[in-house]
Amino acid sequence: MEPPNLYPVKLYVYDLSKGLARRLSPIMLGKQLEGIWHTSIVVHKDEFYFGVGGISSCPPGGTLLGPPDSVVDVGSTEVTEELFQEYLSSLRESLFRRESYNVFENNCNTFTNEVVQFLTGRKIPSYITDLPSEILSTPFGQALRTFLDPRIQPPEGSPVGPPNGQS
Amino acid sequence: MAQAREEAGDSRLVSGRELSSHIIRVSVKTPQDCQEFMLAENSSVHHFKKQISKRLHCDTDRLVLIFTGKILRDQDILSQRGILDGTTVHLVVRTRLKGTLPGPGTLSGPAGHCMHRSEPSTSESAGMLARLGRLARSSPELADFLGQLAQLLMAAPDSVVQFLESPVVQGLANEKPANTSHTPKSSRLAQKPEPALKALETLHNPSRQQELLQEDKRGLEALKVVPGGDNAMRPVCSDIQQLMLFTLAPLVTSKGHSAGSELCKEVASAHIDTDTTATIPTALAPARPLAQKVRVGDVSQARCVASNQASSGCGTGVPDVNSSQDLLSQEIQQPVGTAPLTSQLRLSPSALRRALHDLQQNPALLHQLATGSPLRHHMPLLPILTNPRALQALIQIEKGLQTLSKEVPGLEPCLWGPGRSHGTREPPETRGGGQSQRVDSVQPTLAILQLLHALSNACSQSTQASLSSSLLIEGCYQQELEHLKAMGFANCDANLQALMATGGDIHAAIERLLGEPEAQVPPVDAHSGEGGKGRGTGGEGK
Repeated sequence: MEPPNLYPVKLYVYDLSKGLARRLSPIMLGKQLEGIWHTSIVVHKDEFYFGVGGISSCPPGGTLLGPPDSVVDVGSTEVTEELFQEYLSSLRESLFRRESYNVFENNCNTFTNEVVQFLTGRKIPSYITDLPSEILSTPFGQALRTFLDPRIQPPEGSPVGPPNGQS
Repeated sequence: MAQAREEAGDSRLVSGRELSSHIIRVSVKTPQDCQEFMLAENSSVHHFKKQISKRLHCDTDRLVLIFTGKILRDQDILSQRGILDGTTVHLVVRTRLKGTLPGPGTLSGPAGHCMHRSEPSTSESAGMLARLGRLARSSPELADFLGQLAQLLMAAPDSVVQFLESPVVQGLANEKPANTSHTPKSSRLAQKPEPALKALETLHNPSRQQELLQEDKRGLEALKVVPGGDNAMRPVCSDIQQLMLFTLAPLVTSKGHSAGSELCKEVASAHIDTDTTATIPTALAPARPLAQKVRVGDVSQARCVASNQASSGCGTGVPDVNSSQDLLSQEIQQPVGTAPLTSQLRLSPSALRRALHDLQQNPALLHQLATGSPLRHHMPLLPILTNPRALQALIQIEKGLQTLSKEVPGLEPCLWGPGRSHGTREPPETRGGGQSQRVDSVQPTLAILQLLHALSNACSQSTQASLSSSLLIEGCYQQELEHLKAMGFANCDANLQALMATGGDIHAAIERLLGEPEAQVPPVDAHSGEGGKGRGTGGEGK
């Protein structure tokens, strides 16, 4: 039996705030955040990410965000591209449907974490997965949540929230 | 749990830690859920799979177990692979077995609009083969079949080209691509198209093509012989045809779905007869200058079409399509006689409009353009282009400019002036958002902006409302004119003419001005200054 191929798996990390979070978070949140992290997985020469449009893919670095702010090597996998696609299809029907995107609890980083564990057995760095809880533990974050989380109604009762499915 | 214990076959119900050589608890995680299994740590993976298949009611052949990135083989022992108590193993249940092919339908009879497209067939074959490679990657079942097809290609390229020309295949041209939901994967088939491409290039030979026209459908029969070939080829062929159409079309008409395919049809229908070779090269010739510009658009457009928009990572597909584009460009370079479509040699306003319309309607195309283009010497206009209202405004401006250009012929040199002076004057908004690395290959829009700038210059410096052509042109090169004036070339008309002739290149303009016998005062003269001799010799100052 031939030795199985090993495919490298990389984690692309983007700071959505482009540095603003580092500067403004002490003022706005009361704690220091280094960035608003968005992550994607690069494997089999494609970049995979989860967003409001569901699970998508593109050439590495091919999103509107441009090149990543940092790249983390999370190891290698034997999972072939075909198998990976099947896995993604199942994810698209279960945990990461298009409408199940939630900016705090089921976001791009949740997806990335799942996929990396599947591919390599490792998890993504904790500073990324801890970000929602970090934000939500501040009063500003809680206020933000009413705007960003479609499941939560604003306290006054008037629908100030975002349109359905957008967060 | 009880079931698991029975399955483990061990009567001792202890936690895995105390007797590590025996029962361990392993979690099996699927995309849907997570279940726990108790089994002996020295059991084989095969045994494990049997347990899983019993619980999940599916075939062991379809189970794929992954642990720390490694696919577990049936003969492995759990403990050897590091699967201990409390570890989690990932499971993927394959939906399809290898060896079966999807059957979306049967090949329909030959369609009425049989387009003899043997001439572009070679260039399209290149695209087709690239497309085949992509499709093979997108579907494991097709991979085997297409492997056979690739062998067929190399063994008998004639028959396959014939197959492509057959009315049956042509008839599938308007079908929607059926098999586009999967993203491509790397496969050996990527390499196979390459030698086949070379083989097919040799067919790009006028006499040969005409021979092929008269042959019967051997190729189609050959492919039908392949088991399941009929059913499987349908989506493949429809995708092939889509790609063929859209690869060729944009080259000729610079981005236009309907326009392109119409043109292709009329081009194709134009050679029902045998004299085919002249027409396609002429059709392709005007694409020569456009080829560079639209190449990226092709790639992205072909990708858009082929991938049904949205989520399709075409990383591996792009190099193939690119290589097909290279072939196309090379073929276009062949010397051609007449070019009946010379009006399209320039970026006509209609082409501009189409480009803008397409961009507006096809945000995926825009996305691809912005992210995939190799041209990186223009400031991005992404914020303008992604805003549909901005696009709409640009289209209206462009329409107005088209009218203008008809009314005022002298506008032409200004329209196609250099981008240099305007590169620095791009609106600062394009630098925002950290998108300055993104590239904009949509030169039509730049041309529009150039003209806008020229107009604004002209309007600002002229007191009267009506725009005379000379003022516009002057406004276009206002900066250069000022430079020249400062250097001592005081004859503004000559300066302007020199600038127009050199396309705004001030150094070349100076050379030109110096080179002419009735030239103006060269700046070496100590007391040339602004007034004085310049005026005297020139005779007409500002």
